[in-house]
Amino acid sequence: MHEISIAKSIIEIAEAKAREENSRCIQTIKIRLGEFTTVVREALEFAFEVARRETLAENARLEIENMPMVLRCVHCGRVNAPVRAVCLICPLCGLPLEIVSGEELQVEYIEIEREAERV
Amino acid sequence: MDRVSVQTNVLKANQEIAAENRTLFEAQGTVAINLMSAPGAGKTSLIEATIRGLEGRYRLAVIEGDLQTDLDSQRIRALNVRSYQITTGTVCHLDARMVARALAEFPVQEIDLLVIENVGNLICPASYDLGERMRVVICSLAEGPEKPKKYPVMFHKADVVLLNKTDLAATSGDDLRTLEANVREVSPKATVFAVSCKTGVGLDDWIAWLRNAIGSRSIAAAARK
Repeated sequence: MHEISIAKSIIEIAEAKAREENSRCIQTIKIRLGEFTTVVREALEFAFEVARRETLAENARLEIENMPMVLRCVHCGRVNAPVRAVCLICPLCGLPLEIVSGEELQVEYIEIEREAERV
Repeated sequence: MDRVSVQTNVLKANQEIAAENRTLFEAQGTVAINLMSAPGAGKTSLIEATIRGLEGRYRLAVIEGDLQTDLDSQRIRALNVRSYQITTGTVCHLDARMVARALAEFPVQEIDLLVIENVGNLICPASYDLGERMRVVICSLAEGPEKPKKYPVMFHKADVVLLNKTDLAATSGDDLRTLEANVREVSPKATVFAVSCKTGVGLDDWIAWLRNAIGSRSIAAAARK
């Protein structure tokens, strides 16, 4: 259950940015989550609910964009998106495939309320 | 409400510390291995066999990661090799900071090969760079041949995959061939060794490969000095 540490890292990154922007209230945290990572969306959502308590993200919504796995053969250029079992060998060339997408674990943006706006 | 772009990798904090560890290893000419597997695949047995196989030619040290106990560390010390136990409590993986703390306990400059035995787990440790030079994953035949398909991220990131407990192959038929084919599918670039830490079969190839890796590293570090 390392999603707790992942959720904490997401919040720390968001909080650092919010402070930099002179905000004490994060409303949204948008992340990209690749299919080929070790992080499970549902577990992360649950962990986030716990980890956000008493942080600037206390009332924030976690918006997760799933990034499907996309593979490309460097040799023949063929692109495929495996549905179930992952195979990283090109079915045509027999050579290793490169991962174009699916390894993302990235905070994209935050939506914040600035101090001045509240007055 | 304002939208502010962040564009930051979630694991950035870990990656920064891992980069510091890596710089330290490179500066001291230390080859660090991150050894990962499911519980019971034979990580500690492989370390013991590797220590014996290297026959005192190199200065070794081992960092052991476990949730509880220092049993593994005791096994290493019994072979007169320096060993440091990290007990993670409930944390299911080692991270770069834990390793950095452990490194403070070692004279890194006096170590040619540092083996970091991760917590037995095929999921979480895959995401955490420790600053290692090589990722070595063990999969034993006892686990069944489908593990690489079920845990593709771990196997994909491996530089070396050791198929352990091949002494069981006689009873499990084609499992060894199936396991190896499954490793290749998710990790076509990995170097694969079939070994038995129990009988010693196949360990010579692994030791020779490792000696070559340490040797070339030491030469590279010496050349920089």
